[in-house]
Amino acid sequence: MRFYAKYFAQRLLQFLLVVFIGINLTYVITHATPIDPVEQSIAAVTSFGNTSPEAINMMRQSLRELYGLTGGPYEQYIAFWRRIAVADFGPSLSAFPTPVSTLIARALPWTIGLLATATLLTWLLGNLLGGLAGYYQDKASLKFLAVIAMGLHPVPYYIVAFVLLVMFGYLWPLLPIAGGYGMNIEQGLNPTFVLSVLKHSILPALSLMLVGLGGWFLGMRSLVSNIVSEDYVVYAELAGVDQRRILGSYVMRNALLPQVTGLALSLGAIFNGAIITEQVFGYPGVGSLLVSAVYAGDYGLVLGVATISIIGVSTAVLIIDLVYPLLDPRVRTA
Amino acid sequence: MLTTLRDLLRYNVEFRIGAILVGLVAGMSALSLFSPYSPIDTFVVAPDMPPSLAHPFGTTSRGQDVFWHLTFAIRNTLAFGIVVALLSRILSLVIGLVSGYKGGWIDRVLMSINDTFIVIPLFPILVLFYFVLRDRMSWTTLAVIMALLGWAYDARLIRSLALSLRTREFTHTAVFSGMSTRQILAREHLPFVMPIVFATTMNNMNWSIGLEVTLSVLGFTDINSPTIGGMIYWANQHTALVAGVWWWLAFPVVSIIGLFIGLFLLAVSMNEHIDPRSRLRRLGSGGGS
Amino acid sequence: MTAAPTLAADSMRATTAQRPVLHVEDLKAYYRTRHFGVEREVKAVDGVTFEVRANEIYGLAGESSSGKSTLIKTIAAAMRPPLEIVGGTLAFSFFPGGKGLHQATSAELAAMRWRRLSYIMQGSMSVLNPVRRVRRSFEDFAGRHVRATVASFETHVREHLALVRLEPGVLDAYPHELSGGMRQRVTIALATICRPDFVIADEPTTALDVVVQKDVLDMIRNIQREMGSSLLLVTHDLGVHAYVTDRLAVMYAGRLVEEARTPELFSSPQHPYTRHLIASLPRIGDNTPRVSLTGSPPNLAAPPSGCRFHPRCPLAGDRCRRETPVMTASGPDHRVACFAVSGGTA
Repeated sequence: MRFYAKYFAQRLLQFLLVVFIGINLTYVITHATPIDPVEQSIAAVTSFGNTSPEAINMMRQSLRELYGLTGGPYEQYIAFWRRIAVADFGPSLSAFPTPVSTLIARALPWTIGLLATATLLTWLLGNLLGGLAGYYQDKASLKFLAVIAMGLHPVPYYIVAFVLLVMFGYLWPLLPIAGGYGMNIEQGLNPTFVLSVLKHSILPALSLMLVGLGGWFLGMRSLVSNIVSEDYVVYAELAGVDQRRILGSYVMRNALLPQVTGLALSLGAIFNGAIITEQVFGYPGVGSLLVSAVYAGDYGLVLGVATISIIGVSTAVLIIDLVYPLLDPRVRTA
Repeated sequence: MLTTLRDLLRYNVEFRIGAILVGLVAGMSALSLFSPYSPIDTFVVAPDMPPSLAHPFGTTSRGQDVFWHLTFAIRNTLAFGIVVALLSRILSLVIGLVSGYKGGWIDRVLMSINDTFIVIPLFPILVLFYFVLRDRMSWTTLAVIMALLGWAYDARLIRSLALSLRTREFTHTAVFSGMSTRQILAREHLPFVMPIVFATTMNNMNWSIGLEVTLSVLGFTDINSPTIGGMIYWANQHTALVAGVWWWLAFPVVSIIGLFIGLFLLAVSMNEHIDPRSRLRRLGSGGGS
Repeated sequence: MTAAPTLAADSMRATTAQRPVLHVEDLKAYYRTRHFGVEREVKAVDGVTFEVRANEIYGLAGESSSGKSTLIKTIAAAMRPPLEIVGGTLAFSFFPGGKGLHQATSAELAAMRWRRLSYIMQGSMSVLNPVRRVRRSFEDFAGRHVRATVASFETHVREHLALVRLEPGVLDAYPHELSGGMRQRVTIALATICRPDFVIADEPTTALDVVVQKDVLDMIRNIQREMGSSLLLVTHDLGVHAYVTDRLAVMYAGRLVEEARTPELFSSPQHPYTRHLIASLPRIGDNTPRVSLTGSPPNLAAPPSGCRFHPRCPLAGDRCRRETPVMTASGPDHRVACFAVSGGTA
């Protein structure tokens, strides 16, 4: 138990380090701008309509703090961090005066829902198929799957999403290609809404899965091919242990361990893919929010999404890291 | 190295297909030298023409020949990918080798930083960069930024290799004969690491070009200089799909898919060839005494 | 009290008590590879004939490229391509019909594995599933042969563990929590729990401390005596052979060169290779300098003609280059394959 406490502390420290470096990175980036961004943003927004002077001042104040322009360098940094700590990114310029945090809070569940389900399904399915392919090396159907995997996996998320969009939006309009749910449907836990949500999530999820499956499949296949020549597998086979038990308890169980680590390592990339996919299908998650924020020049929202992304992915990685010792007994002793 | 490549070409199906695909794409980019049209000009030919003998890939709504424009786009995209890959190789190598060889607290610190860059989702960061720099985001700037962000994954691979090399006998010999760390890393370890570096270069190119295409498609880069992502961006801007100008989209998409699959196959086959266990499996598994 | 666990089909042992448990006749097993258009055939086992009798410990000695590991793989039907049997026969007494295990159907194999033939593997560091407790290995390996309730199976295992002086607590441990010696003893217990007719022990004490080695070897011999199984002990370490084996064969470059009862092999070795091996063993008080053999073990893809030892043999003659010597009797229970001993090297 003492070991686990130490491990937990290590992982927590790493988590804090990632968040710290990540957010500092955003701070550094915003200071890379050569021109006064605040006035630029305000000019862009106020040119569209009438906004009261108090509102403009509030905007200006919050923007200056977020850009880290108030006071001297030290105060700038502190003011920036103080805002980040309470997730106060100020009002959204594009949806004035709704605070950025509200917009993000509204969009986040969609992203998490899509991402979590798609990633989990892909990981499980990809590893299962890859494991079978690695163990039964001569099966033609599995070899065929491998070829498909190799063809789909390297293609960037955007392209796959785009091709799916074209296929199902223009060629065979079977599935909805935009939005998170049908219009004119009342939100809430009623069956029509839930069904609509599911229907609208099919294409984005499919897009994520097509790219992701290949990666897990190929990785697991390679792992399993190596593991079958490990001493403990050969020994169990020599002992005549039932092949299904060998596949499950000896091979897969051991091969999944590096894949868990792999999941933690690729969450950043998967997240990237998810927000891009959202944008293509107009799915109301933080991805679409991010892109429209850039188009609208809404700095607070861009910074907000970037920060939340960093924190979100780091948290997910932390959770996976903490779960790992439960799966691998060798790590439990220091 | 050359004989390895020749053997791979002859006996490894994946390498062959990968080499053909990449070769085709690279060939397209080389053709850009013969283009009768400048890439920046618009409305030099009749717009929205479907593929024909005069314009094998059709023309765009902006009056450009798709084929010749694509050659420039591929060239720029490839060049971008190569530059990022080269720059980030340097970082990956230095950090990976030093970290793996030195061990101790240097290793722990470097790897903590390394893992940070692996976990942080880079797309929002790049978007933030674009937002802040806007028109000042030139291709070189973007390339440098991506190189500074994209070394982490491969640095870890190189570090594992360095760890295993550290315990080998020839390293002990080098240390005892008085070679400095820098000399050992450069003269003794580097040749071992090169094949893996080659394979990771392919993957890194896929990664950087993938991000570039994604950013360009959204218009988050300098879209006046032709790149594959840029072509898709402009096609979307002109609602090419709805207007029925499918060739403007199809050919860039096909060429990028070909490039990615090609690079990936090259990387995979290289990796399989380097890993002696998988190589043995191809002959029929495990030799013995 | 619950009924004692029964092992399936134990009647076999009585009737085959006098037959050799294993009979190998002119076995040939090669590795055939094709890599980048080049074909190679490594003749790892090239015409080996011997038998292992009931209730004996039979040793097989040889250096690392002698082919003994390949021989074991063939006997245990643990071959994977590119290794294949190209000739000869192998017959177990418990598998009537005289077929080698590699010709058994999967159902027959499943019934025989572990119950009739078991294996103590080289490098026991990693033969147990690292993510499961030791108890699971016993359940997986022995459970299907032992018809018993869960409780009596557990008792049975614990009793067996006591034979190798292991605490029952070992069952709840993970493999990495045990020391090397303990892991090896677990493997011995695991390999013998079904009281097999034939056990193959492949380098069972390599990578162990000398002190632990003696313990492990004692355990192996005691268990063998107690169960009356036959044991094929394969190791390059002649000291181990001297300590536990009843009979010993020496292998060189894919062929057997000499076989005799162990005390006789050590006191009067006849083949030049065996004599060299025995002579190079360190003896307390003996300070004569050891001379090493010239040359190195042959390349089994292109072995020397005739007797494979002739390039390094001090007694080699013309005949040795032309013809291949076969194992011929040169004394009671003593065979040698050498023209210098039987026939003449001219």
